[in-house]
Amino acid sequence: MVLMAIAPHLYAQKEQSLCEVTVRGVRPERFMVGQKVQEIDSVQLTRFRYSTLADFLQFQSPVAFKSYGAGQATSIAFRGTSANHTAVLWNGVNINSPSLGQSDFSTIPVAGFDQMSVQYGSAASCVGTDAVGGSIQLRSVPDFRQKGLQTLAAFRLESSENYTGQVGLRFNQNAGKNWTISGKTLLYGSIFNNYFGSEPQRTRQGESYSFEPTRTTQKGAVQDLYWQHQKGNLFSLNLWLTDNTLTIQPHQVPLREVTRTQAYRVLGSYQIGKTLIRTGFIRDVIDYGKGENLTPSHTEIDRFILRTEHDFSWIQSCDKGTNLKIGAELVHYNARVDGYGDEVKRENRADFYALLRHQFNGKLSASLNLRQAFVTRFSPPFTPSLGVEYTAFTRPLTKISLSGNTSLSYRVPTLNERYWVNLGNPELRPERGFNKEIGVTWKQRLAEMNQFSVSITAFHNLIDDWTYWNPERNYRVENLQQVLSKGLEFTFGLKTQWHKTQLDANLNYGMTDASQQKTYGPYTQDFIGKQLIYVPRHTFGGTLTATHGKASLTVQQQFNSERYSTFDHSGRPFAPYYLLNAVLNYQFQKRNFRSDVALQGNNLTNTVYPNLKKNAMPLRTLSLNVIFYFQSKQSTNES
Amino acid sequence: MNRNYLLIISLLSVGFSACNTPDPVPSQPYDNGVLVINAGNFLDNNGSISLVQRTSTTASYDIFQKENSRTLSGSLSGYAEVNEKGIILVDNSTAGKDGIEIVDARTFKSLTSIPSTEVENPRAVAKATDTKAYVTCWDATGDFSNFYKNPGYVAVLDLTANKLTKKIPVQNGAESILVIGNEAFVGNTGSGMTKITVIDIATDAVKQSIEIGRNPDLVGLDVNNKLWLYAGGEMVRLNTQTKTVETRFKITSPNASKSPSSFTLSADKKTIYFTNSFYDAADGYLQKGETYSFSIDAAAVVADKPFINRLFSGGLGVDPQTGVIYAGLVPSFKQAGYVLRYQPNGTLIDSVKAEIAPSTFFFKK
Repeated sequence: MVLMAIAPHLYAQKEQSLCEVTVRGVRPERFMVGQKVQEIDSVQLTRFRYSTLADFLQFQSPVAFKSYGAGQATSIAFRGTSANHTAVLWNGVNINSPSLGQSDFSTIPVAGFDQMSVQYGSAASCVGTDAVGGSIQLRSVPDFRQKGLQTLAAFRLESSENYTGQVGLRFNQNAGKNWTISGKTLLYGSIFNNYFGSEPQRTRQGESYSFEPTRTTQKGAVQDLYWQHQKGNLFSLNLWLTDNTLTIQPHQVPLREVTRTQAYRVLGSYQIGKTLIRTGFIRDVIDYGKGENLTPSHTEIDRFILRTEHDFSWIQSCDKGTNLKIGAELVHYNARVDGYGDEVKRENRADFYALLRHQFNGKLSASLNLRQAFVTRFSPPFTPSLGVEYTAFTRPLTKISLSGNTSLSYRVPTLNERYWVNLGNPELRPERGFNKEIGVTWKQRLAEMNQFSVSITAFHNLIDDWTYWNPERNYRVENLQQVLSKGLEFTFGLKTQWHKTQLDANLNYGMTDASQQKTYGPYTQDFIGKQLIYVPRHTFGGTLTATHGKASLTVQQQFNSERYSTFDHSGRPFAPYYLLNAVLNYQFQKRNFRSDVALQGNNLTNTVYPNLKKNAMPLRTLSLNVIFYFQSKQSTNES
Repeated sequence: MNRNYLLIISLLSVGFSACNTPDPVPSQPYDNGVLVINAGNFLDNNGSISLVQRTSTTASYDIFQKENSRTLSGSLSGYAEVNEKGIILVDNSTAGKDGIEIVDARTFKSLTSIPSTEVENPRAVAKATDTKAYVTCWDATGDFSNFYKNPGYVAVLDLTANKLTKKIPVQNGAESILVIGNEAFVGNTGSGMTKITVIDIATDAVKQSIEIGRNPDLVGLDVNNKLWLYAGGEMVRLNTQTKTVETRFKITSPNASKSPSSFTLSADKKTIYFTNSFYDAADGYLQKGETYSFSIDAAAVVADKPFINRLFSGGLGVDPQTGVIYAGLVPSFKQAGYVLRYQPNGTLIDSVKAEIAPSTFFFKK
């Protein structure tokens, strides 16, 4: 998708007219007609470039997070589904760990990519396996606007003994008569000690939680290179290496527990006209060991990826026309995992898809997307989706649109679920989801620089053959559960100017009712209709930014209602909690030199709240964030 | 409720009230009943203790939390009482965060918390004297290739000062412990060690070790003051005076893949109960099994006629007052378990909803 999103104006591509998007290929979001897709503001991505995706995203969207602690495994769950039901795509390629079928969001730094969008609901027909509850698209984007070389150095010092440093450069120059070359290099490193003393802390409800001594070190490199021909053909190379080491009890060697997670990701793509050819290699490594003599258990899974896509378009006018994308992806897996036995597990997967979007006129558009995947020794289902968007009311300042989407989705069980010695089950069926959603969006322009939008989405997602490591069968995995997740999401966006202050607000609220529908054993009647574990019924998040000249203030807040940790709701649920962060940023500029200096306060209300292991999460911290930019030539366009 | 059971209960209570002199101390909420030690789910660190009255089918949940406004942050591995003090062993999923909570056994108010730095993987606790308890510990564990990497130890808990005073090194995987007279016998799990350790209570020093068999698990002292153990697939009877093995025999079963566990002596110390279970490969590895019993006079055991046609993965306990069998049912570690009560003859009395993984029982007066 790198290739299809080269120009900045494609940022909100889902909304664009047909005339603007037919230069090259079309991003898959454009075919997600009738679905909720949230583009994350690039200013926010820059401001929180020191954060992990786990820390950042919880304030941006009404998704539920399951965290084992600060700097520890953190997974995401959309709309009451599980951590396995989120596809995480980097430049269009699924980067979930094949052994676990999910991504640990604490190991993904925000600085590792340029753009992000969050898609809610099933999108298997557009992006493939895992997108049962939602998907996250991370993109690297070339910048062909400003010529020259821009270098960057950044650091962050946080009072809880967390330190981050980043250095990087971006360049863009002509290479011969017909070619332009652009690129980005970024090196980053962090040490998170999350130190808050050794004394237990009490919550407002009187519960007491203590801190777990941990240290997380994170380092990585991003290298993007793009060669663009003046006719539009584009070569690109994207490389992303991540290396994350979590040590529990770092100061007591006999007691320590070390988990090292590494990923090597390389993509090479060639966009020639409307045809894309992409090859890739991803290696995921996990090493886990304990104590003095680390002889870690080892997981190493390689993926070799080949994808080709072609876009067809029949455009009659800017309001009327058809887009069709057909594509195929082949992936070969090599899994060397201690838990699978001595034999290297190999398998091939192929996906064939056709995404069709037709715009009838300025008001009505629809999409029909089809996908069929094939997996060695396994048969994923055919997954179509159908979506429609209709603008019901248009006035110069007002627009009200209605949307609807229905889609099937699937999840290919993880390699652990199929290959783990004795406990894995090669006979598993894919999990299947049936998602329906409708939405209404009201956009209102009040004056120049003054507008708001409100959208409400209702969803209903039935997921069948949900897998379960069944204790009655010594934790062999089975397709046992059926879950119905339904709910409402409400988002509000405001852009306004007051005197010389620009105000931006994004608020979101989610109400989720997710429950077990079928019994699967003699003691499971009790679960029927009860809210699933770790799914809060109510979530609220919001980001407010006030910008005045070179100064800005960003306030983030988040609320989660209580969460159960048992299927039958016995025992004490995790109490509701509220978090508040603020960042005060000031920009200095002198000729080619620019600096952003920010003071950030996290968890300002000093809320004590527990993670899944019942240890205390971070308390209030203060941090200093500084970024220096140096531009070799005067910018032609501020980034 | 079964009539015979009511009869036993009423006879017992009559017997007790008849010979009791009035108690000068006002009664406290946790004076009577049965404590159910719910192990909890490992990474959830949510072990808890429930109180079940002998004549009631409802329980009081998480009584430590109720009395102290904080939860026990870990799995629970053991409980014992010494001179009206309750000792709770807490095993957190993170190494270095385990601990021992000492409570007033009658009010369950916390008296002290032994810091996590002093014990690692506490497994079982036994009363040694009126002022001393012994706690078996694994110490830090390794990864799966060498889990019981360190020698175990018995931590000596001084209940006058509420402090640990000594660690007595014992075999790897130290687990079950039983105090008999002036000696404590220590068994082990998992590590493959074959000897039990004998500790002199007066000196807190190891006296000797006795070869028993692989992973010796102490069952209890029978009516003849003989110590029963299960080790290396065999029942072993030990003369605790001469420290010699008097007899050993296999438990055989028509289904050779079954393995016995949860050995418990009856109230009269003449019968041993145990569960015998396996994962049935022919039925998708469903766990199956039953509960059996045998007499201490048996020369061999063939587990072919179940005493209770049901399996309890949570463990068994016997009420010394009534002989009633308490059996912990664990449907999964993500939901409340149940305690099923049976008469000494194996007839079901009732069931009580407990908390996560009811595993052991402590019978109060």
